[in-house]
Amino acid sequence: MIEPRDEELSRIYRDADAPEPAQRVDDAILAASRRAAGARPRPAGFGFARRWGTPVALAATVVVTFTLTLMVFERQSGVDTMAPAATSADQPARSSPTEPRRAGQLAQSPREEAKPAAPARPIPQAADRRDRAQQGLDESAASSERLGTGQPAFVPEVPRAPEALRKSEEAAPAPAAAAPSANFYSSERAVADQPAPAAAPAAGASGLRESKVRGAGVVSGIASRVAAPEAKERAPKKWLEDIRKLKTEGKATEAERELAEFKKRYPEYRLPEDLR
Amino acid sequence: MGSEASDEELMLRYGDGDAGAFEALYRRHRGPMYRFLLRQAGDAAAAEELLQDVWMRVVNSRGRYEARAKFTSWVYAIAHNRLMDFYRANGRASFLSHEESESVLEDLPGGEIPAEVKLDRKRATERLLAALAELPDVQREAFLLQQEGELSLEEIAAVTGVSRETAKSRLRYAVAKLRASLGKES
Repeated sequence: MIEPRDEELSRIYRDADAPEPAQRVDDAILAASRRAAGARPRPAGFGFARRWGTPVALAATVVVTFTLTLMVFERQSGVDTMAPAATSADQPARSSPTEPRRAGQLAQSPREEAKPAAPARPIPQAADRRDRAQQGLDESAASSERLGTGQPAFVPEVPRAPEALRKSEEAAPAPAAAAPSANFYSSERAVADQPAPAAAPAAGASGLRESKVRGAGVVSGIASRVAAPEAKERAPKKWLEDIRKLKTEGKATEAERELAEFKKRYPEYRLPEDLR
Repeated sequence: MGSEASDEELMLRYGDGDAGAFEALYRRHRGPMYRFLLRQAGDAAAAEELLQDVWMRVVNSRGRYEARAKFTSWVYAIAHNRLMDFYRANGRASFLSHEESESVLEDLPGGEIPAEVKLDRKRATERLLAALAELPDVQREAFLLQQEGELSLEEIAAVTGVSRETAKSRLRYAVAKLRASLGKES
């Protein structure tokens, strides 16, 4: 019987010469194996990165998304809470919930709103709104702090007018034509801000400010709509119309007084021929 | 120690970039694999070329290797396939044919060797190797896989792609002819 494995045969076979491959073959194979192993190096952290990379990326995405959502929500809430305050003041159409605005822009609007009107008593309102805006800003900043976002990038410049300016504005109400745009958020804001301090000390400079602002031609639709009645009331042309009317009616004394008042207020305004 | 690790562990370590594991693995199997190829190809140069080819395939398969089977079964299967290609390229159709020649035993010169002559081990080995070279390729392969690769019948069958009975039959014929070459009756 033939055994599947013949031990004697195996012993004899193993006694035979055991040829081996040449050294150069060994070297070639081993060199190739080292090259292959080095061609795909796996750093120590490779396994860790492969194992945890996906979960960490997912977690980071969730955290960032959640944080951004919270920030947007908080900011939107800030807009909503400030909108009624502005509305209750005197401008119901100004704040739209669908128009999210930055806190800085919101805080700025009162100051811009205060400029156009300036009829008899614009300053208390403006100051009031300014205070409210400041309060809103504080709340907004506080909410950001609560979120722990640590992102003061959107905290606006505090639009506090210098105390001296405030007082002088109260003493001499700005003319109606000094209405800048409510959309002065960037460069236009700088243009609108510049005349304010200069105009405040002297009421006579208001005309110049008016012409500047007119020249700029940057009155937003919203601001125009809101400030229109007051502006019309205080418009120099209207004033002159009234003076002319007084003259026509024979009220020369009143007309002269009004004209003198007008010249005092708008010293650089070029009067029409009939009123000179 | 690398020498204590199993073949499968070494191969997995090499897959992870451990070049030393491959060297240990290669040192462990280079001789038997070379002899297997040498006896089958019958040419040292061809055997070296085949050896290099087989191991390069091992290197290139490092990332896909899974220790589901014995490393030796896997690597000798690669060698078997390379030999098939070699035979095809060299027109050796006998290896490709699964026909078993029952008359091979009768053709062996075993009967001519005087039974009473005691062969010394050296001469016995020479005769054995000569008889081995005369074996049909498939029978020789089965014998070499058993002797050099230390594979079981099942593993030989798996490596060569035949049934266990076919592998067993090939091995039985090989052993019978080799014994006959040594003047031993089966």
